[in-house]
Amino acid sequence: MSQSPAIELKNVGRRFGALQAVRDVTFDVARGERHAVLGPNGAGKTTLFNTICGDFPPTAGSIKLFGEEISHIPAHRRARRGIGRTYQQSLLFDGLSVRDNLFVAVRGVQPNRFSFLVPRRDDAFLAKAREVAERVRLSHVLDIAVGDLSHGQRRQLEVGMALASDPKLLMLDEPAAGLSPVERPELSKLLKDLPRDLTIVLIEHDMDVALPFADLVTVMKDGAVVVSDTPDRIQDDPVVHEIYLGHGGHKH
Amino acid sequence: MIAWLQSRAGLWTAGGFAFLLVLPAILPELMPANQASFWLGNIFGRAIVFGIIAMSLTFLATYGGFVSLAQMSVAGVAGYVVAITVNGAAPSIVGGLAYMTAIPLGIVAAVLAALFVGVVSVRTRDIYLLMITLALAMGFFRFVETNIAWFNGYEGIRNVLGPTVFGLPFRDPHVIYYVSLLLAATLYGGVLYLVRSPFGLVLQGIRDNPRRIAALGYNVALHRVAAFGVAGFIAGCGGVMMTIYNIGISPGSVGLGATINVLIMSVIGGLGHPIGAFIGSLIFAFFDTFAATIYDRNRFNTLIGVVFLAIVLVSPDGVIGLAKRSYAYLKAKSAPQRWDKPT
Repeated sequence: MSQSPAIELKNVGRRFGALQAVRDVTFDVARGERHAVLGPNGAGKTTLFNTICGDFPPTAGSIKLFGEEISHIPAHRRARRGIGRTYQQSLLFDGLSVRDNLFVAVRGVQPNRFSFLVPRRDDAFLAKAREVAERVRLSHVLDIAVGDLSHGQRRQLEVGMALASDPKLLMLDEPAAGLSPVERPELSKLLKDLPRDLTIVLIEHDMDVALPFADLVTVMKDGAVVVSDTPDRIQDDPVVHEIYLGHGGHKH
Repeated sequence: MIAWLQSRAGLWTAGGFAFLLVLPAILPELMPANQASFWLGNIFGRAIVFGIIAMSLTFLATYGGFVSLAQMSVAGVAGYVVAITVNGAAPSIVGGLAYMTAIPLGIVAAVLAALFVGVVSVRTRDIYLLMITLALAMGFFRFVETNIAWFNGYEGIRNVLGPTVFGLPFRDPHVIYYVSLLLAATLYGGVLYLVRSPFGLVLQGIRDNPRRIAALGYNVALHRVAAFGVAGFIAGCGGVMMTIYNIGISPGSVGLGATINVLIMSVIGGLGHPIGAFIGSLIFAFFDTFAATIYDRNRFNTLIGVVFLAIVLVSPDGVIGLAKRSYAYLKAKSAPQRWDKPT
C-alpha cells in the first residue's frame, strides 16, 4: 500500500465575508518533498498557510495531514500531529529569554507539557532547547531577552521555534522576510542544512530563493492555483512570467 | 535556590523578609506600645492581607496579560464559605465545622469560583475581560446582598474570630501579622517559582503571543483557565485572612468599592512584579488609616484618587517602575564617565 501524502488539499477555500481569499486550491505534498508556494503579494499564500496550520478553518474543501482529516481541528492539535511553522512577521515571546522560548517550543508537543515543576538543570527538554539554539546559531544569546535580539536573530529563532518540536511537516512563511543582504546568507545556510527527509512547504515571492530550494512549485494568484510543476518548467512557464513581469516580460 | 539567594533580587527579598520578621520587635522602640500594636495589626497586617488578594490580580496581569476584576469576589467566596460553615459565626447558617476544616473548604470554593470566572471569560481580552469580570463581581455582590438564607443579606456574617494559634487568639496583632506574613511569603515564593515552571512560561507566552503558543501545541484556553485557578487559590487564601481580620464578612467586602480598591492597590504598586501588590496595599492602608489626620476622613476617596493619579502620571508602572528607573538612573550617574577621544 502506498503511503498517503504529507498534505492533501482538496478544493480548499477560505472566505472572509465578501472576500474570497483562497479558492478551490487542490494539490498534494509528498512525504519528504520540498514544496514552494510562489505568488505576488495578495495571492493568498499566507491565508492558505494559516488554513493548513489551523489559525482558522477552511470555509470549503478538505485538508488531510498524513492521511488524516484535519480541516476542523484547532491549531494546537495540528501542531501535536506534526506541523511546525514560522510566521512572516516573527511571533516570539519577547519577555522571555531565547532559552525559554525554545524550551516552551520543545515541550509543546510532549504529553507532559502541562507542568508546575521548574525543570532541573539536567532536564532533557532544556538540553534539547540548547541543541536547537546551536542548530540555528543562537547559542551565544541563550540568556538574552528575545525583545533585545536583532531582526536577523529573530528570524533564526523563528525557524528554531518551528524545528524545536521535531515536526514531520515544516511550514516556512517567507523565512528571509526583511533580512538585509548581510543577514541573508546566515539564514540561507540554515535552511540548506535542514534534513533532506523533512517535508517542507515554503512560501516565498522571490523566485531566486524558492526555485533552487524546491522539488515542486505551486504558483498562486488571486487566491487560486495557477500552475503546479517542477522548478525548471516553472521558470519557462509563460503564464508565470506574465504574473511576475507582466506582458512582454523576460525570463526572471 | 542558593544561586537565587546570591543574586541581587534574592538578596533584596531575603533582606526584606528578615526586616519584616523583626519589625514587631523594632516598632515598640520607635513609638509607644499601643501605637506599635496598632501599626502592626492595622497597617502592616492589613496591608499584607489585602496585598495577598491584590497579588492574585497582579499574578494574572503580570504573567498572563489579563486584568480580572473578579478577584475580590473570589476572595469573598472563600470568606463567605468559612463564615457560613464555621462554628461560632453569627448568625450560624450551617456551622458545625472547625476552622481547620472550614478554611480549606473556603479555599477550594474560591478555586472553583475562579475556574468558573476563567471559563466564562476565556475568549475575552482587555476591556472586554474587564467588563465581563466586573459584571460577574457585581452579580456576586448583588446576590449576597439580597440572599438572606445563605448569606444573611446586607448584614453579612459576624463573629468569625479565627482559630487560636499556639494558644494565642487570632485577634492578637502579633498573630495576625505573623500568620499573614508567613502566608504571603509562601504564596509570593510560590508565584516566583511557578513563573519559572513550564506552566508559568507558557502563561507568559500567552501574554506575549497566544497565536504562537497554540501553534506550538498548547491549549491556550486550558492554560488561561488554569491560571485563573491558581489566582483563585491566592485570592482564596487572602479572602480567608480578610474575613478573620474583619471578624466577619458582609456584602460591602465584595462590593464595587472593594473591587476597585484591589485594582488601585495593584496599579499603585505596579503590575510589573508581584511585590507591587504589597507595596500598593501598604500605601493604600496608610492613606486609608490616616486620611482623617492628613486631611479629612470623608475625603479618603479624593486623597487616594490624587495619590493614584500622581503615581500613574509620574510612573505608569507604579512604585515598582519608579524604583527601577531611579535605581537605573543612580547607577548610570555613579558610573565613571567615558569620553571618546576626538578624532
